[in-house]
Amino acid sequence: MMRVFMSRSFIMLWLLALAPLAVAAPRDWQVDYPRSQIRFVIQQMNVPVEGGVKRFSATARFDPVKPETGVFRVELDMASVDTGSPDGDGEAQRPLWFDVGRHPRAVFVSRAVKKQPDGRYMASGDLTIKGRTRAVNVPFTLVRHSGESWLAEGRLPVSRADFGIGGGDWNDVVADRAEARFRIWLKP
Amino acid sequence: MRGIGRPERHIWHGSAADHYGLGLIALHWLTLALIATAFALGLWLADMPLSPLKLKLYAWHKWIGLLVLALLPLRLWLRVRDRLDRLQELEPWEARLSALVHGLIYLLMVLVPLLGWLHSSAAGFSVVWFGVLPLPDLVDKQPELAKVLKAMHESAVYFLAGIVVIHALAALYHHHIQRDQVLRRMIPWLRAP
Repeated sequence: MMRVFMSRSFIMLWLLALAPLAVAAPRDWQVDYPRSQIRFVIQQMNVPVEGGVKRFSATARFDPVKPETGVFRVELDMASVDTGSPDGDGEAQRPLWFDVGRHPRAVFVSRAVKKQPDGRYMASGDLTIKGRTRAVNVPFTLVRHSGESWLAEGRLPVSRADFGIGGGDWNDVVADRAEARFRIWLKP
Repeated sequence: MRGIGRPERHIWHGSAADHYGLGLIALHWLTLALIATAFALGLWLADMPLSPLKLKLYAWHKWIGLLVLALLPLRLWLRVRDRLDRLQELEPWEARLSALVHGLIYLLMVLVPLLGWLHSSAAGFSVVWFGVLPLPDLVDKQPELAKVLKAMHESAVYFLAGIVVIHALAALYHHHIQRDQVLRRMIPWLRAP
């Protein structure tokens, strides 16, 4: 039953139902996927190693004037994790790391968005990786570039242990603290 | 006695002038140990599946190789200072061959670590020397270039290994067949043949 309520078509229906109320409601922004990136950096024996997620989908409903009404959702296709080397790509899929067979998606859903005094935004929400959900605060900037292109950019420190990513002897060579970095180009 | 009548400048740091200075001797054998270790690690790593141990060994391989490179200026300086070549002991062809072999060894001691460093950069892995000192990337990440550099690094190291074997055989030839002083310049505690 939960699946039905969570399904995209259900959400679309829900959005359609609410549409008449949405005169001053936040807009759905379009994501420019080819230009957008979700990357991560791990520390491997003090060497920063960059990787990323090649495929993801994001929805952004957001009004810069009323940020508190915004809702963000980002879904990562974990089979597309790129660790920067072919060996690492294979390793990342294994149960010890992302266990992609059982947990093909990682998801962030915002619960509250606030504008901070420094002009940046803060999206508080739930990050689910490998089936484990943790509350996170994602600081980001939203800057208008040429024309109708907006860039949402931010960084989020992530503890691997919080999500059970990796472990064992790997903890001798890979630091617990990783950092997710995103650059998502949006069009209103 | 061979030592008699040698130029004054050869008597430095209390080293008997029939052999190189102890600093240079120590660096020579240290460098051999480092190169042998890095080489053995490299061979072992080549076919090793990814594991935490592999990453550790890879790091040590890089750190040791770059240590060879880092020690080289000091070594060259001592070598120039401690110059003991007695080319008159050698036939002209021997002198030329010796110069060639030594020149190639020095060249390859620069090239091999440098190609390794370039490969690491092109493969997208920066080097943090001994986990402490971040070194600059020499090139941007380019997987295709990384393949070429890896092949060059490997070819160069096999060439170095071959030249080192020739160098060692030449030293043994001098010691056991020519029965001269050449090997004892680098191993002063060795008994005369």
